[in-house]
Amino acid sequence: MRVEVQGLTVRYGDVTAIDDMSFTLSGNKIYGLLGRNGAGKTSLMSALAGYRKPSGTVQLDGVPVFENAAAMRRVCLVRHSADAADKGDKVSHVLEYGAAWRDTWDNDYALELTELFKIGLRTKVGELSLGQRSALGVVIGLASRSPLTMLDESHLGMDTPTRYAFYDTLLHDFMAHPRTIMISTHLIEELSSLLEEVVIVDAGRLVLQEEADVLRSRGTEVTGNASDVDEFTAGMTVLGEKSLGRTKAAMVYGALEDDQLIRARGLGLELGPIALQDLFVHLTDPVGGKR
Amino acid sequence: MKIFRRLTAALGLFSAMVAGGAFVFVVALTFVVSIFRDVEISAWNVVASQVGPWFLLFIGVYAIHNMMPVAVAHGRTRREFLLAASAFSVVLAVVMTATEWLGFLVEGGIYSLMDWRADEHGAQLSYFLMYLVWIAVGMLCAAAFDRYGGGGLFVLPVALALVVVTRLRMPGSGNLPFVDDTPDLFGSALPAVLVLSFVVALAGTWVIARDMPIRQRTS
Repeated sequence: MRVEVQGLTVRYGDVTAIDDMSFTLSGNKIYGLLGRNGAGKTSLMSALAGYRKPSGTVQLDGVPVFENAAAMRRVCLVRHSADAADKGDKVSHVLEYGAAWRDTWDNDYALELTELFKIGLRTKVGELSLGQRSALGVVIGLASRSPLTMLDESHLGMDTPTRYAFYDTLLHDFMAHPRTIMISTHLIEELSSLLEEVVIVDAGRLVLQEEADVLRSRGTEVTGNASDVDEFTAGMTVLGEKSLGRTKAAMVYGALEDDQLIRARGLGLELGPIALQDLFVHLTDPVGGKR
Repeated sequence: MKIFRRLTAALGLFSAMVAGGAFVFVVALTFVVSIFRDVEISAWNVVASQVGPWFLLFIGVYAIHNMMPVAVAHGRTRREFLLAASAFSVVLAVVMTATEWLGFLVEGGIYSLMDWRADEHGAQLSYFLMYLVWIAVGMLCAAAFDRYGGGGLFVLPVALALVVVTRLRMPGSGNLPFVDDTPDLFGSALPAVLVLSFVVALAGTWVIARDMPIRQRTS
């Protein structure tokens, strides 16, 4: 599903959560929506899902989403599980809502996922732990099989095995049923291998939209003898450094020129990819004030 | 239609069960009271005319506050939900009026058998219109508070005016807080005024909820 956002602004009283944002997602990929707390991720997703009336335009496959029944049917946003389930409802009732109201709902898959995440069907939503509620949100999101599925901080409260099960499930389901999936998360490294494209927002504005691999190539980890690394990185934007004895690793921002690559080889330095998370930190809190 | 079916299945059934439970409770209570004193009023009328409207107000609040966000989260529009909820409010008022009628029928039999006396109760149409207005006013209040937070207080005078009218000729309905001995100015036009009250409450709900943001809830 193609997503087009033009001049989107979301305000809460005097606070501007999204400020004149424009971008296009070509669709059928797993997108990572990254941003610091209060950057506007949830507001952006809410506007994409028709949860709030947009100022500006939000179109899915060329048609506006807000209060458009045909478009709304094709979107699913899960902000944890709270919107799609009332805390007094049993989990089985929540699945019944999905089956009753979503044409694309896959109930067998929903039941399979509740078993995987060990969510009791007779348990009330309000009695689930935070991690289980998040897992229920994942169930609702994935079983909806919506052409645009958005998961907002869906890992909250999940323990590590459950998070890994979530990532595996997400990838398998995406491979079996390709669609546009947008995930917002703060656990960037855990999810980075799944992300094909990254959208970074900060203070309500779009900072960057890029293929994840291209973004990774924007930085390099330089490892070697500490003095050689210092000599090589002098004058570069260094995002962070780690030392162990005489060995040092420095993360530098910006693509390296051919002559720099030759010089690094000459110094016996190892060059490797930089973690997406470190790039994200730099792009939202730039070293030296420059992105 | 899917939303209407879901509302009817979830809230309609729940309301009927609550009404049935309330009937059993008041009959039992009446027997207990009869041990200590003569029975002179209809206990079921207390439920039908006083407790019932407040319960239906709660159902109206629940529909907008709890179920509308769930419907939107499952890909339905506010317009679809409001259409379904409007139709549901009429159906629920009919069901609750039928329950009220059945309750009076059974209670009448018990009272005759036990030689108890009951005070008068209202006409079916009055109960139906009263229930209809209270459900719609519940939806109106929920929409106003959900959308405007504390600003929803400004809708309360309107809500109060709409529900006061329903009590004008309802025997045993008691008085609302702060509203005593309301003069009946409407004469034979009262049913039309009650229908108008329902329409006003519903129209207000639509105006407020039609493009209401679905806020994040913490559960």
